[in-house]
Amino acid sequence: MAIIDDVRSIIAKSLNIPVDQLTPEKRLDELGAESLDVIEIVFALEEKYDIAIPLQANDATRVSASGKSESQDKSGNSELPFATVGDVAEMVEKLVAAKASK
Amino acid sequence: MNRVVITGIGVVTPIGNTRDTFWSALVEARSGIGPITIIPTERLNSRIAAQVLDFNPADHFDARRVSLLDRFAQFAVVAARAALRDAQLELSEEMALEAATIIGNSTGGMNTLDDSFFKLYGQNAARAHPLSIPRLMSNAACSAISMDLGLKGPTYTIASACSSGTHAIGQAFQMVRTGQAPIALTGGTEACLTVGTFKGWEALRVLSSDTCRPFSKTRSGLVLGEGAAMFVLETRERAVARGAPIYAEILGFGMSADAGDITAIDPSGAARAMQAALRDAKVNRNEIDYVNAHGTGTALNDKGETIALRQAFGDAADHLAVSSSKGVLGHSLGAAGAVELAATALALHNQTIPPTANFQEADPDCDLDYVPNTARNAPIQKAMSSSFAFGGLNAVLVLGRA
Repeated sequence: MAIIDDVRSIIAKSLNIPVDQLTPEKRLDELGAESLDVIEIVFALEEKYDIAIPLQANDATRVSASGKSESQDKSGNSELPFATVGDVAEMVEKLVAAKASK
Repeated sequence: MNRVVITGIGVVTPIGNTRDTFWSALVEARSGIGPITIIPTERLNSRIAAQVLDFNPADHFDARRVSLLDRFAQFAVVAARAALRDAQLELSEEMALEAATIIGNSTGGMNTLDDSFFKLYGQNAARAHPLSIPRLMSNAACSAISMDLGLKGPTYTIASACSSGTHAIGQAFQMVRTGQAPIALTGGTEACLTVGTFKGWEALRVLSSDTCRPFSKTRSGLVLGEGAAMFVLETRERAVARGAPIYAEILGFGMSADAGDITAIDPSGAARAMQAALRDAKVNRNEIDYVNAHGTGTALNDKGETIALRQAFGDAADHLAVSSSKGVLGHSLGAAGAVELAATALALHNQTIPPTANFQEADPDCDLDYVPNTARNAPIQKAMSSSFAFGGLNAVLVLGRA
């Protein structure tokens, strides 16, 4: 199974959305992902591929995943280094490749 | 309605276990955050914490007693004894029968739980320690205080994550104000720095590996801490009659729930708790000189809290001094509201505003006066202490100068 398919299926399960709606250009925030959804998705991918995805509070790339302007995250989780389903897959592909080349 | 004052303060903290050592470290912005030494760190990504290092249980408890007490209950009892001594209060049997013990705590006896489960699941131990249940129950701390000091009135634990200490003190304040209890022993305690706790927080991706820098543009997340702070509350009338030291008066208490996201701060929810506390205190927002903020050091808490302060205080926000004690104390979760109330009461008592430690650079999203790095001598008549918890639970106390 290609990584993009795993990513789509994990996001589909987490957000309870039919997998065929998850095209690579779809933004997580537009799909209704909130901060805790995102860290659950990241956790599932880390477990699946045995990789560490760099995602921390105060991440330099400030992309809002929650899309909420009023709701600020106590834990800093709504600032992410990726925006779309395709971004997530690309990140995982790079990390898996880096792991394989070690 | 009685006026309620704080006449005793006891602390067990990463910066000292006496009121004076605690206060001088806060004022000098000497951080209690350092490399983790109390647990193995090889599996941890972030290896810093605000630990209570200067604490030997054998100095405070005999061997039989200590086996009954998890670290969070030990902290609670030692701080409670210190608070009662500080208040110079000789409890009559009649008062003891009605004295309330209301304690905030978030996670219970986490060290006991962690050790027990490690032995059972990790080492295939056949049995758990027979005292593991009474050690780890969340009410172990309030029960231990009640037994140690002989307090026999209303006694229970309040659990509301990072607001636990503030909710507990607010509840005790209401009991003394309405006459339900003549005095109250109240505060918060937490000791949950275990590998399991760190892995859980790590997975939330909010821990700093640097240090805690509240409201600074360079802030990098929160740093876990531990400790306890306890207070003796009594009516102003009684305190004055017996010539007791008075640190501050508790004027009001406000609470709210966001009913929204489980982790995200909702500035309007936080602001509603501040406004409720001001209303309860019958204090105008222009009268508050100092706010001891929740200020965790995460990107969005500090930004959201700034928005909340502007919502609650309006134009008066520009005249407020706001500081977070978490750069010095870390985030001690269920104890945080209590140790920060100690900071707020001592600020009023000493007419000095403790600074926000580890501050490096102003952030356009955090545009208030955060008293960076250097304490300020300033006349303070009224002050506020805020706590905002996971689960959207907000609790705010308003204090006045004694």
